[in-house]
Amino acid sequence: MAALLSEEDRKYLVDLFNKELESEVKILFFKSDNKDECQYCDITQQMLDELAETSEKINIETHDFNGEGELVEKYKVEMIPAILMLDKDGNDMRIRFYGVPSGYEFSTLIEDVIAVSKGGEVDLSEKTLEMLKEVDRPLKLQVFVTPTCPYCPRAVAMAQKLAMKSPYIQGEMVEANEFPELSMRYNVSSVPHIIINEGAGEFVGALPEDAFVEQVMSVLKGA
Amino acid sequence: MPMFNLSGLSNEPKEKNYDVIVVGAGPGGLTASIYARRAGLKTLVFERATEGGQITLTNMVEDYPGFSSISGEGLAEKFVDHAREFGVKFANEEVMEMSLDGDLKKIKTDMGNEYTAKVIVMATGSNPRKLGVPGEEEFANRGVSYCAVCDGSFFKDKEVVVVGGGDSAVEEGIYLSKIASKVRIIHRRDKLRAQKIVQERAFKIPNMEFIWDTVVTEIGGKDAVEYVTLKNVKSGETSKLETSGVFIYVGLVPNSELVKDLVDVDQSGFILTDEHMETNAKGVYAVGDVRKTVLRQVVTAAADGAIAGVDLTKYFD
Repeated sequence: MAALLSEEDRKYLVDLFNKELESEVKILFFKSDNKDECQYCDITQQMLDELAETSEKINIETHDFNGEGELVEKYKVEMIPAILMLDKDGNDMRIRFYGVPSGYEFSTLIEDVIAVSKGGEVDLSEKTLEMLKEVDRPLKLQVFVTPTCPYCPRAVAMAQKLAMKSPYIQGEMVEANEFPELSMRYNVSSVPHIIINEGAGEFVGALPEDAFVEQVMSVLKGA
Repeated sequence: MPMFNLSGLSNEPKEKNYDVIVVGAGPGGLTASIYARRAGLKTLVFERATEGGQITLTNMVEDYPGFSSISGEGLAEKFVDHAREFGVKFANEEVMEMSLDGDLKKIKTDMGNEYTAKVIVMATGSNPRKLGVPGEEEFANRGVSYCAVCDGSFFKDKEVVVVGGGDSAVEEGIYLSKIASKVRIIHRRDKLRAQKIVQERAFKIPNMEFIWDTVVTEIGGKDAVEYVTLKNVKSGETSKLETSGVFIYVGLVPNSELVKDLVDVDQSGFILTDEHMETNAKGVYAVGDVRKTVLRQVVTAAADGAIAGVDLTKYFD
């Protein structure tokens, strides 16, 4: 099969990872070999394999969604293809990619790899970090995207940065086209569309950090 | 279109002081940054979405010399790669506040970071103009869209309407005709403003229809868009048309909120500049769609950027 990453991009990533990666990053990939169940698992696998070749600090661990119930349960994997990341001590960094992180979302995946290798070091304002201390119960942020949406990666990145900085927050990318039933359930027709705690809150659009955090916190306060 | 696109990667700048800061990574801002870097200036570009600007929202670009046909995303990626190669830094942060007095300009971003530069280039572009009819806000995420490449796939085999008659309306209508079962273009005049070659292509598409001399007066439905109410501007006759999606392309509003009280702008908010692209504030430039100009194309934005990128070197002699 032809390589998914261009030679140029591959070189760029090799350089970038050489400079930026500190400790090892383990990527857990959940898939199924049944094409009817997971049309995009093969291509996701290939992309991850090519990614792993760009740095020895990136390790991919592939798991069967149907055959490894215990792990699926442990990490609460809901659909496939699913990608999640662990830091060097095996801690779940609470980020999820459901569907191929293709198109513009690929950049987000790369930024996550770098952030995880630095132990979850992300750029957030002091104010946001203060507010995150108030989070005391689980918050699931599902960011519905399409690969061709240039506004979407920033919303995914924001949700996942919050996740890396709060043990209660999970930040997920959901590729809307790959999961039409879920998209329909939440009436997704414009992206990015952010669903908080299964519909307890929602908003549309890539908001600046303050406004994004405010939306998330309003659900916490039951507003 | 590359399946895996890296143009959105930010360089995570730790450095906060620059010679030149460009706000907005569209063709205008990127060209200015390339020229500034070639002059040896330390240059940072802010982008709140993905680098490339509004062309990333366009399916195909066919009027940028050297490329008879290239995807908007593809062309944007080339601009970004070019800038990166020359050492331009990128930051995925949204600029929230600016102070433009004096020799050192200051910028505050949504992540709470503060940056300084001697020269600022405003390349913030424009946003789609709203139609301003009842239902538009209410259904903003329930069938009303301003971005066909983002949201088109949600309307597979459904009927949609496109409002407008310019290049964007017709080109994005053509893009949608490959996804939707039917595309109706609703235009308030009896002929299109779009380039001739685009019109001719559109008229040949079997599942595309045109509704002339007509405006949308309301967007309605229950949970999602179900219909639009139309009014013929000549006969005054009103009618209802069933549709699942409404794509709006009725012009642009400049993204000049940040500076409209700091530099001179026209009545619509477009930034006024001299022929060197400099505003009335010394060391503050404006390029591309956000500037008051007669044509808003990729090539004119790039040209603006080149002029600004060369002129601004006078502050470093």
